[in-house]
Amino acid sequence: MKRRQLLKGGIAATLSAGLNPLTKLSAMTNQPRILVVFELSGGNDGLNTVIPYRNDDYYRARPNIGLRPNEILKLDDEWGMNLGLAGLKQQWDKGNVAVIHGCGYERPSYSHFTSMAYWHTASPNSGDAYGWCGKTADFLAPDAPENFIINIDTSQSLAVTSRYHTPVVFDDPDLFRRINPNGVMTIPPNGPTGNPGTETTRTFLSSVAASAKSSSRKVREACASYQTPVDYGIAPSQLDQVAACIAAGFETQIYYLAFRNNAFDTHVHQKDLHQRLLMYAGDAINGFLEDMERIGMAEHVTLMVFSEFGRRVGENANLGTDHGTANTMFLAGKPVIGGHYGEPPILGLLDETDNLIHTTDFRRVYATAIESWLRSSNSIDILKGNFKPFPIFS
Amino acid sequence: MRLLLNKFIFFILLSVGSGASAYELGHNLSAEFRPLKKSDWSYEKAAHLLERAGFGGTPSQIQKLLEVSPEEAVDSLVNPKKPNSHLLEFEHSKIFDPGLEPFPASRPATTKLASETGQALGIKVRPNGNRPLQPIVNKFFYWLRASRLETDRVTQWWAERMVFTDTPLTEKMALFWHGHFATNEDKVRDYRKMLKQLQLFQTEGLGSFRTLMVAVAKDPAMLAFLDAGVNIKESPNENFAREIVELFTMGVGHYTEQDVREAARAFTGWNYKGLDFVLNRDQHDYGSKTFLGHTGNLSGEEVIEIILEQQVSAEFIASKIYAFFVSENIDPKLRKALGQQLQDLNYEIRPFLRLLFLSENFYSTKVVGTRIKSPTELVVSTYRKLGLVNFPGAPDFNHVTGSLGQRLMHPPTVAGWSYGKAWITPSLLIQRGNFAYNLMFPDIEFIPWDKYPGEIQYRIINVHQKIRDGASITEATKPTSDYSEVAALSNQTDRNEEFNTRFGSYRGWQMAIERVLPIERDLPQISLTNMIVSEKLNTKEQVVDYLVHRFISVPLDEHTRIMLGQLLLKEVGDDDLSQHTNSLETPLRTLLHAILSLPEYQLG
Repeated sequence: MKRRQLLKGGIAATLSAGLNPLTKLSAMTNQPRILVVFELSGGNDGLNTVIPYRNDDYYRARPNIGLRPNEILKLDDEWGMNLGLAGLKQQWDKGNVAVIHGCGYERPSYSHFTSMAYWHTASPNSGDAYGWCGKTADFLAPDAPENFIINIDTSQSLAVTSRYHTPVVFDDPDLFRRINPNGVMTIPPNGPTGNPGTETTRTFLSSVAASAKSSSRKVREACASYQTPVDYGIAPSQLDQVAACIAAGFETQIYYLAFRNNAFDTHVHQKDLHQRLLMYAGDAINGFLEDMERIGMAEHVTLMVFSEFGRRVGENANLGTDHGTANTMFLAGKPVIGGHYGEPPILGLLDETDNLIHTTDFRRVYATAIESWLRSSNSIDILKGNFKPFPIFS
Repeated sequence: MRLLLNKFIFFILLSVGSGASAYELGHNLSAEFRPLKKSDWSYEKAAHLLERAGFGGTPSQIQKLLEVSPEEAVDSLVNPKKPNSHLLEFEHSKIFDPGLEPFPASRPATTKLASETGQALGIKVRPNGNRPLQPIVNKFFYWLRASRLETDRVTQWWAERMVFTDTPLTEKMALFWHGHFATNEDKVRDYRKMLKQLQLFQTEGLGSFRTLMVAVAKDPAMLAFLDAGVNIKESPNENFAREIVELFTMGVGHYTEQDVREAARAFTGWNYKGLDFVLNRDQHDYGSKTFLGHTGNLSGEEVIEIILEQQVSAEFIASKIYAFFVSENIDPKLRKALGQQLQDLNYEIRPFLRLLFLSENFYSTKVVGTRIKSPTELVVSTYRKLGLVNFPGAPDFNHVTGSLGQRLMHPPTVAGWSYGKAWITPSLLIQRGNFAYNLMFPDIEFIPWDKYPGEIQYRIINVHQKIRDGASITEATKPTSDYSEVAALSNQTDRNEEFNTRFGSYRGWQMAIERVLPIERDLPQISLTNMIVSEKLNTKEQVVDYLVHRFISVPLDEHTRIMLGQLLLKEVGDDDLSQHTNSLETPLRTLLHAILSLPEYQLG
C-alpha cells in the first residue's frame, strides 16, 4: 500500500508542476465532490477481471477460460487486468485506481434481482424502501436542491430512491420531453387552492414539474451541445452524458448509471465476450476520467464500479461461469490513492457451494465513498451499521 | 449494532413525523375515529371515498354513493353484497404441462439434470446427433418466456377487474397486500403461483390478517420466492422467517437474531408441490424452540400466533394500512391508537377499514387530495373516470405502469414499492402526462411488446434474421459486433455441441408467443363530445369546470382555470360550443390532455 501511496504522491507532484492550461483552478475550489456509480449488471466475473495470475488454484478451476500470464495486463507480481481493461490500466498506471478485493456479504443470494436489491439498499438479506445513494443524498442535502442526483437509465434505480430528493432520471436525453407540450401547464402560477392539507404535496409536485421542465431542457441542451475530443471507446455507456452534465455546471453530486441488459451474465463462451464487455467499460471509464482532467474537474470526481455478485470460481461446461459470490470493486479517479485494498479471498478455501468466501463487506466500500469522499458522517445511519472506510482518499 | 438499528428507526420516525402537520394534529383516540356526521355527507366526500377505497369513478357512480347514508356507502365497499358476476375468470393459455414440474433452478441445473438422468422437463435426451439436449434447453426458455407473458395477462386481467368491478375495495386491498407481501415472478417463474397468490389477496384480503398471514406463509409463490425449499432441519435458512418478522409483521428492531434463527427452525420443511403447500415432515425440526420468550415445540403457525400477540405487530400492520388508505402522517401516538384498534378487532380488516372510512378525519382537508396516486391507481382511475366500456390494449397497461415505476407482479424488492413522493421523478411526471396524451391521441407507432421481442430480448431478432437467411445455428448465434451485441470467436461451421443456449432462447420465444393468448389491442373508445352534449354544457367555463371536477380531486386555482378556458377557446374559435358539436372532439381532447397533465391530477 505504501508503495502505491508514494507513487500517487509522486505523480500528483509531477502533474501540479506542469498544470494543464485547461485546468480551471479557481472554479475548482468551490466545486462539490461528485460520485459516479457505475453498475456492471449481470454479475461481472471478478476473477477474470483482476486475475491472480500466480495462483495455481485459479488455473486448476479454470483450465479453459483462465487467462494465462501472456493474456493479461500485469499490474504487479500477483495481479493482472483483463486485456479488455487497457483503458482502466492507463488509469491504474497513473495511480488512480483502487482495487478492492473480496467484496460481498453474508449468506449471499445468487439471484440477480435479489442480490442487486441488497446492493442497491445496502441491506443484505433484508430490504429498504430507499437506496443507499438516495439516503446519502438525504443526509448530504436534506433540503433537496434540484438535480442533486442524476440517474441515467430507463427507470429509476432503487439505489437512488430517496425520501427527500427527486432524482433526475432519463435515458435518451432526446426523449426526456413531453409529447406535444402545447397547452400543458406545469407550473400553476397562483398560490393556494384553499385546501391546506394538499399544499405540501401539491407544492412538491409543482416543484418537480418545474424541475422536470427545466432539467429536461437543461439535460437535453447539455448533452446536445457537449463536444469533447476525448475518446470514450466504442460504447461510452453514457459516461459522456455524465461529463456533459458536469461540464454544464450541474450541481449534481451523485450520478448513477448501469450497464444494460444484464450484459455481464456470461454463462457461456465467456472469454471473448467478457473481454469485450470490459473493453467497453474500461475505455468509457478511462475516457471519462481523461475528460474530467481536460475540463479541470478531475480533483472533484470519483467513480465507483460494482456488480451484484461475482461468478463461480470453477468454469462450467459451456466455457462460461455461473452466478457466484465475492467480487472485485473499483474506485477510480484522481482523488483515489491507487492500489490494492481488502484481502483477496482464498481460492483454495471455498464454501460448500464452491464459491468464494467474501473478505470485505461491500458496505465498507460504500462507507469509504460516503465518509471519506462525500464527507458525510452518517454512514452508520445510511448503512445501518458501522463499516470502517478504507484509506483510499487522502 | 442493536443500538444503531434503533437509532436508525428513531430517525425514520422523526422524519415521518416531521414536516407539516404530524404534531399539529393534536388528535386523541376519539377525535381520530369520531364518525362523520350524516349531515356532512356530500358529493366531494363520496368521491373521496370512492377514490381511496377504490379507484374513483364516474359522476353517476359517485352519485349512487351520495344517495345513501355514509354508513351504507362505506358498507357497499367494505361488505359488498353484489356478486360481481359480470367479471370473467382468468382465461388460461394452454402453456403448462406436468413435465415442467419441478422446474429446475437454472438452465445449467436443467442441462445437468438431463445429462445425469437422461431427461428433464418431461423430455428425453436424444440418443445421438448434434445438440442432443437442445429440445430440453428450448423448453426451459419457453417456460421462462411463456410464464412471464402469461403473468402480463394476469395483471391485465386484474387491471380490468379494477376498472370494471362493482366492489373496487376488494381489488384495492389486493393491491395493498401485493405490495406488502411483495413477490416477484422473475424469481417465482410460474404465473400459476402468482395468480393463486393474487386470488388469495382478492378473497381473503378484507378478512382476518391472522388467516391471511398463515395462508401467505403457506402460499407456493411466497415459498418459492423466499427459498423455502432450502429451509430444512439440517440447515435452516433464515430468509423466510426474517421476512415474516421484519417486513410482514413487526418491523426491524423488535426481535433478536436468535429469534430469527429459532423461527426459521419452526418453518423448516415448509414447502410446496405444484400449487399446494406441503410439510415435509422428515425435514421439519420438531425440537424445542424459544421465540420471543415462548418455549416449546413451536410450529410455524404457533410462531405466527406469537408474532400477532405482539402489540408492535398490530401497530405495524395498522399503520401501514392507514398510510395506504388515509395518510402517511402518523405520529407515535396515532400509531399506538391504530394498533390498539386493530388488536381489539382481532386483526379483522373489514371493521378496521370501516372505522377509518367512516371517520371525520378521513374526509378532512388534511387527508383529501393529499396522496400521490401510484402508477396503477393513475391508469385505472383515469379509465374509470372516463367511463370506458372497453379496456384499452394500447397504451399497454403493463408497459405504462412499468415505465412509471410499478410493474405489477414485479415489485423491485421484498420490501415492495415505496409509495408517495417516490412515485414522482421529473421524467416520470412528464411520462404521466404522456400517458394521458397517448390516451387522447393514439400512438400509431405502438408495437405490442408481448409479441415483439426486440425491446425485451435484444439478441433474439438478430438470431431470427440469420436463421431465416439460412445461417447454421452456430453462425446465427454468433454474437455480432454492434454495441448491444458482443463479439466472440466462433467457428464458421456448425459447431458440434450438447446444446446452444442462444438458439434455445430464440426458439423458446417462438414457442411462447405461439401459445400465450394475445392481449386484445382495442384502442380506448372515448367521446368527450357526448359527455359535454349530454351535460348540456355550452361555454368554455362550464366545460373546464365540468372536466376539472370530474377528474381532479383538489380545488384548482382560478388562474389555471382561466388558462384552460383560453386553451379551449383557441382550439374551438368561439365561445358558443353548442354550434360546434361536430368538431369539438379534438379541442376537448387537447383540453383534457392539459388537465390530466397538471401536477394536481397526480393527487387523489
